[in-house]
Amino acid sequence: MEGEEDKRWSTGLGCLRGQRATTVVDRWLSSLEAEILIFGDGVAGYGFQPCDFWSKEGIWLCAVLFAFDYEASSPKARVEQSPCSCGAGPISRSSLGQRFLISSHSSIQVKHAMTMTEKILARVSEKSHLEPGENVWVNVDVLMTHDVGGPGTIGIFKKEFGQNARVWDHEKIVIIPDHYIFTSDERANRNVDILRDFCLEQNIKYFYDIKGLSNFKANPDYKGVCHIALAQEGHCRPGEVLLGTDSHTCNAGAFGQFATGIGNTDAGFVMGTGKLLLKAAIVLGPSHFKAVECSDDGFKPSIGKEPADLFGIVPPTLRFVLDGEMPNYLLAKDLILQIIGEITVAGATYKSMEFVGSTIQGLNMEERMTLCNMAVEAGGKNGVVPADEVTFKYLEDKTSENYEPVYSDDNARFIGEYRIDVSKVEPLVAKPHSPDNRALARECKDVKIDRVYIGSCTGGKTEDFLAAAKVFLASGKKVKVPTFLVPATQKVWMDIYSLPVPGSGGKTCSQIFEEAGCDTPTSPSCGACLGGPRDTYARMNEPQAS
Amino acid sequence: MVGGSELHSFTSDSNMATTAMAAAAIAATPSTVKTSFYACNHHAPFLSSCRPRLSFHHRLSSSPLTLPSLWAPKYSPIHRHCAASASSKVDASTATFHGPCYVLGDNIDTDQIIPAEYLTLVPSKPDEYEKLGSYAFIGLPSAAYSTPFIASGATKTGFPIIIAGANFGCGSSREHAPVALGAAGSRAVIAESYARIFFRNSVATGEIYPVECERVGLWKECTTGDIVTVELGENRLINHTTGKEYKLKPIGDAGPVIEAGGIFAYARKAGMIAAPSN
Repeated sequence: MEGEEDKRWSTGLGCLRGQRATTVVDRWLSSLEAEILIFGDGVAGYGFQPCDFWSKEGIWLCAVLFAFDYEASSPKARVEQSPCSCGAGPISRSSLGQRFLISSHSSIQVKHAMTMTEKILARVSEKSHLEPGENVWVNVDVLMTHDVGGPGTIGIFKKEFGQNARVWDHEKIVIIPDHYIFTSDERANRNVDILRDFCLEQNIKYFYDIKGLSNFKANPDYKGVCHIALAQEGHCRPGEVLLGTDSHTCNAGAFGQFATGIGNTDAGFVMGTGKLLLKAAIVLGPSHFKAVECSDDGFKPSIGKEPADLFGIVPPTLRFVLDGEMPNYLLAKDLILQIIGEITVAGATYKSMEFVGSTIQGLNMEERMTLCNMAVEAGGKNGVVPADEVTFKYLEDKTSENYEPVYSDDNARFIGEYRIDVSKVEPLVAKPHSPDNRALARECKDVKIDRVYIGSCTGGKTEDFLAAAKVFLASGKKVKVPTFLVPATQKVWMDIYSLPVPGSGGKTCSQIFEEAGCDTPTSPSCGACLGGPRDTYARMNEPQAS
Repeated sequence: MVGGSELHSFTSDSNMATTAMAAAAIAATPSTVKTSFYACNHHAPFLSSCRPRLSFHHRLSSSPLTLPSLWAPKYSPIHRHCAASASSKVDASTATFHGPCYVLGDNIDTDQIIPAEYLTLVPSKPDEYEKLGSYAFIGLPSAAYSTPFIASGATKTGFPIIIAGANFGCGSSREHAPVALGAAGSRAVIAESYARIFFRNSVATGEIYPVECERVGLWKECTTGDIVTVELGENRLINHTTGKEYKLKPIGDAGPVIEAGGIFAYARKAGMIAAPSN
């Protein structure tokens, strides 16, 4: 049978030849002993090439450790410091995936530098000491859901915790109708009603409700697109854990927090417990190892414990260093398209993406959100930008909650690093049908466009509309195709109508858009970004009730 | 079966879900042991043998494809009474699925699995759960996928097994995606790799087994309609139509959780949460 050669190990450590490695998060809070917590995805989706290994018992172990700086205290311990032909070796920042730790079988002191994501998750995990196979709880600071994920989440919550159960914390759940709002679709409208009923029942503090669909401004609570609303309402704070039933929840990583998307079932779980379940795949303590030998065949490890993690892993981090002054013809969207085009839509699967560098420091919060927003388009678990003065300033008038920023250690290990000279990046597009189908905009200048849509959490923020207005201003011409403008939130809508556009002599975006012949900016929501019911504004269908 | 016995002896040692554990999970979750048809369908895909296996038979027997005589599910189909299945042994590692496969390429996203306009359907409502199933894969471009996943006029699929390339389930986090596949009657996806959120949703809901294959490009060697067998215990995919066999990566811990009915059953077994209070 195919693939059935030599790579069978006893459980314990395994060797990935030239493949990407899972990460180790060191529970260094209790770190005099070598309690190395491995979160490893043993099953799927980690980007492993077919090179797995399993014990004779048929258990698939897929845990590979990073090489840390550590001292082995036992004379029997063997620390592999130099690369061997199987690919094992110490961490090098530039090599992707060839990282191994060979541990000792007695206690080792781990001096481990951690990335931002590792630190945040280590900090919010409750236990400082773990047994193999034990479960790890990650305390959640904010849970967000909307009209698409919310009803299903609520259904699961009630079914699993009881019809009369109470949410874990009625101030930590933020419910934001935004997806299918301005529609006559009865189910869509019903779904907002479901949210309302639940919020009333549970006394949910943050519910950005809308009742009158014909005039969003008559609904002062209503915000619009959830990810932008979260930021504007001060729910995104450095160092925290924010989960949402939406893939673009990673948007909030711009604030230096761990933010990622989850499904209804996980969200129902969080609703009841305030925690997300991660599994400690293996905690390797002194008793778990014997000295291992590294040979040309790879490792021959010793007995070990059970295999790898089920779902949640503490992801290793890909670092993107962006330097250079941002040219005035670029936006953060170009930068992230550059990156996704480089690493593909699966390039960051099960990984964190960290964005640093002088260019990043010069970006405002909305631009940083654009970057982190599309981490999921690269398959990433989350994206992060370290919090700095820009972040703190933004948050000043939005939240009075205390927060504690977290930063990657100087010598933290990254599974890969990409350096980008921003001055060499050109305006980009992603061609149909994939976000990684990157092309230079100038190479597409002869592509005939049928319509233009400016909106969504990625592209419908104030910064995006200001940038569009500047382009129209510079052109001075009218649009040739229908141009739909969908502000992400009420605040963005107001900015469009009130902020002066630099260089325009005091005109607002709305004036410039009108002069250019764009459609009138519409009610804020996700709109046609993901299609929606047939009568959704700007959707490419004749309006009809469905 | 040699593999099976080795596994069994290991799993008795294991911390992880085993036969006993999964059975305990079921015992601990009386809410899954209702006799209502919808409860069977919705809560416990292990118990999904009480989902329309009949319809598979029905569909297959009326199709031009003939079933090889080696159709032999490892556990007997349970059609209606989930209570009966609660007492039967649950062994994720020996689950076997058999039937025609539906073949897809790389980067199948959740919008192709269930387009956004259907997301007004709430998966936790039984009738809407069924409707979601009827729309599974309706977003696939018909030029590339000329055989519909669900035949015109039908609400369930004739393809219990899906074979796909890399990064299956990428895109939006919508849990409606694995739910639609499970509600449509598929049992397993065999793909080269999965997008993170889809994988986790599949296991958390217990709706469908997300199995990884070893062979890159396996999907290119299979054609929609090929009769295949997936043996989780043997980590093997057999394509009877082409005569080829392929190695699968062990389903690992995901298996027992799916068998138990998803993350809640699993968490109850581990004592993290209580049974629902009503």
